[in-house]
Amino acid sequence: MSVGAILCSLVVVSARNPVVSVLSLLGSFVCLAVIYLLAGFQFMAAAQLLVYAGAIMVLFLFVIMLLNLGNSAEESGPLDRALLRARRMPVVLAIGAAVFLLTLFGIETQQTVMAADPELVERGVSSLSGLAELMFSTYLLPFEAASVLLLAATIAVIVLAKRGRTQLVADTRTEVTP
Amino acid sequence: MTPEALEALLHGSFAGIGAMVAVTLGILLLLLAEILPGAAKLKPVLFVATLVVAFLGELQLLGEPAGPVLGGSYIANQAAAAWGLVFLSATAVAWVFGRGYYTLEKPFQGEHDVLMLSSLLGMMLMSGAGDLITFFIGLELLSVPLYALCGFRRARNDSVEAGLKYFLLGAFGSALFLYGAALVYAGAGSVSLTTLSQVGASDSLSLIGLALIASALLFKAGVFPFHFWIPDVYQGAPTPVTTFMATGTKAAAFAFLLNMAFLLPPAAASSLAWIALLTIAIGNLGALVSRDLKRMLALSGVAHAGILLLAVVSYLKSGDVELAEESAIYYMAAYVFSAGGAFGLLALLESKGDEATTLDSIKGLGSRRPGIAAAMTVFMLSLGGIPATGGFLGKYFVFSSLVVKADMVGVALIAILLSVIALGYYLRVIIAMWMEAETEDAAQLSEPKRLGGAAAAVCVAMVLWLGVLPDFFLGLMR
Repeated sequence: MSVGAILCSLVVVSARNPVVSVLSLLGSFVCLAVIYLLAGFQFMAAAQLLVYAGAIMVLFLFVIMLLNLGNSAEESGPLDRALLRARRMPVVLAIGAAVFLLTLFGIETQQTVMAADPELVERGVSSLSGLAELMFSTYLLPFEAASVLLLAATIAVIVLAKRGRTQLVADTRTEVTP
Repeated sequence: MTPEALEALLHGSFAGIGAMVAVTLGILLLLLAEILPGAAKLKPVLFVATLVVAFLGELQLLGEPAGPVLGGSYIANQAAAAWGLVFLSATAVAWVFGRGYYTLEKPFQGEHDVLMLSSLLGMMLMSGAGDLITFFIGLELLSVPLYALCGFRRARNDSVEAGLKYFLLGAFGSALFLYGAALVYAGAGSVSLTTLSQVGASDSLSLIGLALIASALLFKAGVFPFHFWIPDVYQGAPTPVTTFMATGTKAAAFAFLLNMAFLLPPAAASSLAWIALLTIAIGNLGALVSRDLKRMLALSGVAHAGILLLAVVSYLKSGDVELAEESAIYYMAAYVFSAGGAFGLLALLESKGDEATTLDSIKGLGSRRPGIAAAMTVFMLSLGGIPATGGFLGKYFVFSSLVVKADMVGVALIAILLSVIALGYYLRVIIAMWMEAETEDAAQLSEPKRLGGAAAAVCVAMVLWLGVLPDFFLGLMR
């Protein structure tokens, strides 16, 4: 699985076609989710699939569609063409592998991992309640600060993006009345 | 976890993070004032009130430190409180000099202030972070608003370029840090500094991880060989933002470097000393050849980061963390007011003409605007380390701890000699202002700004106070 994640990440940065990049990013996310699952973190795996492979990926694809980047076939290199021909294959394969591993090894391996690390069992990190307890006690401060970070990032993006329009208005005004 | 245990964990934690809560509230209120009609007048008041309340919170904390907060993810000790005061001063200086700086971007002043406060919150989180997770959130909270602030003047290419450069390299620095933190966790099994101090982190995985973490910190502080972004970004960013970055970011990076330095092997001391000397040399030589004042101050900031690194070296060698923290905080406090004041005056000079401030453009400033020129002279002398200024005592504390406690006389001597080179370009500014005749491309001075003048006067007073009566500040820290 980690080999799969690394391979997919390599394709993300080496592919010239953004659609190929995004799809292999999806493959990388799925691989990561399976790694989390194998390590015994069911909630993390589910969150990874829902948030990253679900929501964020859709966002990426939307942006690419809006910017109309996907059609630049003439820009794609040999790697992209080979991948585009079978572009649904890696994703399908990755998801299939994930489901396969989930059903076959998931639960058993999780128990061996948990047994190997009694401290984890004791702290109950893998369960949802254990995670929540840690998040709202020891790691409360970074958790809350992360929300401020998201707020700040939103404002930062607005400042940078919204400016474009007012700047444009200011520019056209100076053009009209020189 | 039982409710009682949770209550015990949370008990008394508010005092430790009071200042940060105040800043967060300030951010939210400022955002609220942005959308409420008629609240525009309130915004500067809110900003100042936030800083004042946070300042009082840190002073209170300095008097009675709260210790580890929330299970040790934040350590509200005296050093964190003192660093907090430094960050608050840096924010105040940058903000006051930034009033009236922006013209085209005036409608976005509110967002500018909110971003500045978020960055301040990140610095406070960094300086007291008790584990690598808290620190990382602090680091991002510091960086993300600064990326936007660097590119704040969208109409200017150099500003956008600075923002993009800082973003790309900053993301690289964050990745270094994360990779290092993952390796430390893999090697030592914890990311909490308290736990790491008990189990130690001397296996090879952790050592590689620590090296990566230290590199990320040195990157943020702009230490050789990670200093290449400094001149371009500092020059391109709006001058008030440069003021904030040069003083605050550097202080935050060194605050955490001192906190985690106990993890570094003692052998790191000599290599860090070499890095520090190279940093001082490169910064000073670069500043010596640059004609643009902003670039010169940026490169001199690299040299100052090198001297601060010597405080870390002295701690690694002697193991006296309090002395190292004291000297670093004192040095940084003096730097905040002298470099902050110098950058701020550049912002005042720049705001009307909107062009770069070069050595030529300030020629004869002494006869046209003696007040500004006198203040600039004090800042330059302090940056150069002339006695009776804060900069001198800061250097004195760092070098004396290096000689007395760490027994590194050679390193201290070389550093002092390199600092003498720095006097070359600081004095050149003074000579240009007072002894040379005005040229054609003299800076177009705006009409006197009372606020800017008052801020410069306060900075001068602080520099002199730090330089003449250190007992008051040292008493605060002890």
